[in-house]
Amino acid sequence: MLWKNTINELLKIATKIRSYIGIGALTLLIIIVLFAMIADGKSYIGFVTASFEQTLSFNGKILNGNLIAFIIMQMLIVHVPLLISLVTGDLLSGEEAAGTIRMLATKPISRTGIVLSKWIAATIYTLIMTVWLGFLSLFVAKWMFGTGDLIVLNSNGLLIIPEADLAWRFGLALLIAFLALWTVATLSLAFSAFAKNSVGPIVSTMSVIILFTIIGTLDVSVFDSIKPYMFTTHMAAWRSVFEDPYPTSAIWESVLILVAHIAVLLGITLFRFNKKDITS
Amino acid sequence: MKSVLLFVFILSGGFGFGQTAEEILKGVIDKIDLVEDYQADVQIKAAIPFIKVPIAKAKIYFKQKDKFKVESKGIAILPKQGMSDLTGFLSNEKKYSAVLGEAKTINEHKTRLISILPTDENSEIILAKVYISTSEDLIYRTVLTTKSSGTVSIDYEYNLNKKYGLPNKMTFTVDIKKFKMPKSVASDIRNNDKQKKYKDNEKGTIVLTFSNYLVNKGISDDVFKKD
Repeated sequence: MLWKNTINELLKIATKIRSYIGIGALTLLIIIVLFAMIADGKSYIGFVTASFEQTLSFNGKILNGNLIAFIIMQMLIVHVPLLISLVTGDLLSGEEAAGTIRMLATKPISRTGIVLSKWIAATIYTLIMTVWLGFLSLFVAKWMFGTGDLIVLNSNGLLIIPEADLAWRFGLALLIAFLALWTVATLSLAFSAFAKNSVGPIVSTMSVIILFTIIGTLDVSVFDSIKPYMFTTHMAAWRSVFEDPYPTSAIWESVLILVAHIAVLLGITLFRFNKKDITS
Repeated sequence: MKSVLLFVFILSGGFGFGQTAEEILKGVIDKIDLVEDYQADVQIKAAIPFIKVPIAKAKIYFKQKDKFKVESKGIAILPKQGMSDLTGFLSNEKKYSAVLGEAKTINEHKTRLISILPTDENSEIILAKVYISTSEDLIYRTVLTTKSSGTVSIDYEYNLNKKYGLPNKMTFTVDIKKFKMPKSVASDIRNNDKQKKYKDNEKGTIVLTFSNYLVNKGISDDVFKKD
């Protein structure tokens, strides 16, 4: 029954226009970035290497598909959560707003089953968005710009990662990015269990992300103790995959914290929905 | 007796004391002129502050007088000064004046220092100190002071292509200015660790190891056309 209900939920997602807004916006954003890089990518590279160009010359294909993919991922991982929550924030509250929640509850499936099927559907939608992001940023960018070594900027300077060492890094980065987006999807589903319309969960999800991100970037010691436990701190964990040496323990820590958030948020959603009065 | 022996030694040019700066340089230039063109494989190993870069492999092409190209599949970092521009600069004797300096032993090679001052006020090179083995007519060290790149020191090692004055190894020591990357454009926004502390000017080294030289085999001008 859970599986059947999950398919129903996926069909519901597929029939809603807002589900395509995310994919469409993602596609459009990536096309704009690709166009910008075709038009003015060299000046972007100049900005990256300018500090060294008086003394050193950089040879080889710096502006390549791998760099574009990295730039796209860096830009969009911040914005994709909004596109995800547009759909996942509507999953439970949308039923309440449309008045279909009681009909849903009459089905031979427990309330836990209803929440789990919606959560699995949200997970699949998030996975599709991540795969689409990966496909556009990696394959299309590589097809347009060719391949090559990757220059990564960080606050201590430049790191050049050989092309042969990139496929697994991008794969792992997308996997961690998916985990971060899955956390956001579960968060908006949790908000959705508390709301009667879909605007509240979407706005609340974005507000939490913005608030936590601001706290995370503030160099104020009073927040130092909570920063490691905020999921937004670990949403950028995929970038750590492009460090050398590769910080395995830090990445595992981020993965565990994100998984813990998903588990706790799902638990809250289940608790709330099971206790929710849907009769009035 | 000692003074007589010293006199004979000086006359024989044992340390190049009998030669003028121009004569010593001419020996080097003659060797450079033997090379019409060359191509070689090069392995680039860079240890530069603020940059972490793997060992890169590239192919270099040179054609008289000043055509030079680096072809690399990956990203290769090379010094801006001292690759081919020095030989081009030395070949044009009218553009500089040379002053003979002290004798110095570099890596067991007895050399004489020639200080080269450009006569052109717009020259990128402000001063070039070149340590030349007078017995081999080979440059073993160059210290270039340039307008935009600071000081670049180059040590040379030779092997199979000594007769052309083409090194099999060049070690560049370059000045690297302090690098500041705004956190907003850096990739590790989540990283709140303190940045590594560097001095205002750090030294970086780039070691180029050459192999598979092909000298005077002819290289088409098309090779040097920009991609």
